[in-house]
Amino acid sequence: MTKVRKYMFYSMLIFYSVITVIPFIWSVSTSIKPSDEVYQSNLIPDNPTAKAYATVFGKIQPNFQTLFANSLFIACVVVVLHLIFAALAGYAFARLRFPGRDALFFVVLGCMMVPDQLRLVPMYQLLVKMELINTGPTNYLAIFLVKAISAADVFLMRQYFLTIPKELEDAAKIDGAGPFQLFSKIMLPNAAPVLATIAIMTFQGTWNDLFWPSIVLQSPNHWTLPFGILQFKGQFSTDWPPIMALVVLSTIPILALYTFGQRYIINVQLSSSVKG
Amino acid sequence: MQSTSRHSYRLSRKKSEILVGYGFVSIPMALFLFLSVGIFFYAIYISTYDWGLIGPTESVGLDNYRRALSDPIFLKAIRNSLKYALLVVPIQSALGLFLALLVNSKIKGSKFFRSAFYFPSIASSAAITTLFIFLMAPDGVFNGMLKFFGVDVSNLFNQGAWLSDSRTALYSIIGLNAWTTSGTMMLFYLANLQTVDSQYREAAITDGASRRQVFWYITMPLLKPAHFFVVTTGMIGALQLYDQAILAGGADGSPDYSLMTMVLYIYNACFRKFEFGYASAIGVILFVIIFSLTILQKFIFGSSAWRGEN
Repeated sequence: MTKVRKYMFYSMLIFYSVITVIPFIWSVSTSIKPSDEVYQSNLIPDNPTAKAYATVFGKIQPNFQTLFANSLFIACVVVVLHLIFAALAGYAFARLRFPGRDALFFVVLGCMMVPDQLRLVPMYQLLVKMELINTGPTNYLAIFLVKAISAADVFLMRQYFLTIPKELEDAAKIDGAGPFQLFSKIMLPNAAPVLATIAIMTFQGTWNDLFWPSIVLQSPNHWTLPFGILQFKGQFSTDWPPIMALVVLSTIPILALYTFGQRYIINVQLSSSVKG
Repeated sequence: MQSTSRHSYRLSRKKSEILVGYGFVSIPMALFLFLSVGIFFYAIYISTYDWGLIGPTESVGLDNYRRALSDPIFLKAIRNSLKYALLVVPIQSALGLFLALLVNSKIKGSKFFRSAFYFPSIASSAAITTLFIFLMAPDGVFNGMLKFFGVDVSNLFNQGAWLSDSRTALYSIIGLNAWTTSGTMMLFYLANLQTVDSQYREAAITDGASRRQVFWYITMPLLKPAHFFVVTTGMIGALQLYDQAILAGGADGSPDYSLMTMVLYIYNACFRKFEFGYASAIGVILFVIIFSLTILQKFIFGSSAWRGEN
């Protein structure tokens, strides 16, 4: 690379990183500004205050702790459901021979084509009939049922199991291991990276989802963080610091998860999706 | 004697494989049949009824579909969604490819830049759209920056009211989502770039091909699987625009329905007017549009991209 090219290259990289990172720094800055400084263009507030954080932790109903607990609870349950069903079905479709297997797998592929918005009305009607649209604790079951399984995860899992060499199983087979032992002792431990990928992507997707919570969750005590942001944005209208505090606080867990699990997201998910 | 026992061992092995196979897929398949397949047909069934809060009253055949296609606000929603998808998909794909090529070259700090570029893709749409609304407010940071570069915002045709002027609201959301989604698209391209053998490019350079020729005739065709994936998932996602529209424009897609999308329209029919039969018909129309565009893309990119082969 010539020197001029190199400078151009780096200035483009730096310019775009500024575009991607500055808005978030701005949200942090706004969350610690007193209200009269909100529209000033200083990045570091003259009189920083933690008032907005006191508001979101204490005064708002439901408070941040409730929103956080709901988001965490819902995301964790959905992650566990997705992992169990994807591992079981993925293994069966990749390795076990039973009549009708390919037809059933074709049904799974078809399920990927059904968009959530088509499911909205019938799903809602069904949940009403099941009496899960309520303000009690069974309301959580509605969101678990809606999000119980993902065809994309089953597909991803199957593709990964197909890449594990058969020789690994053959040795255990000679020792008399049945299909269930092969699954739990050989295949599952070897699939750790793709399980991590599914866990991270499902957690992120559920944590960030606004569509289903805004439709299914009835009581403010059940709201998730994104749904809370939508509601409080309407209530606070132009009182930006508390809203920005919610934005900052809801992004930190996802940022931590991403920093910790980056390699799984980039290496496994994407190469197998592209190879599909 | 020995051979019979081995034979029966194999048989029992086969049997147990079948049993475990059905056991493993039973709950997942029951859920799929219930939550996707059954729901799909239930949606079509509901769409043929006049179905309000008290449930179905009378079968109306295709009336809900006729009504949708003659409602000016729904037609506006279709136009908005299509306009949005046709603009945002090429922009986010091209930007994603550009960023991938930037960070894929052997440079110092490529890992840092990769993380920085992916950063807007990880936050929730609720958080990022709220932040965007704040930054784009008439007296917000974006207009402050324009002022800094000498643009007098009060003389602009929309007076700097990017999200509350019906002429600029949708384009602002296009800008927002091109920015947030391009990080994800970059990752898809990066994954594909890493599987592309650099010897093709080196051979072309040895044969005297220019940088531009190498890009258009070597790199681009080799990225076909990523092109297909990025355009297809991008299009499906774009046609489902909802979060950003309701956050920026409320349930009416304000101002002047400029942010009314197909999904927001379903939401309104369902939860503000309680016309479930009508809402379901719109859902079916959305499905048909998404489905036909996906099939169309399959033909454009050819069947090899579908299977992910180069």
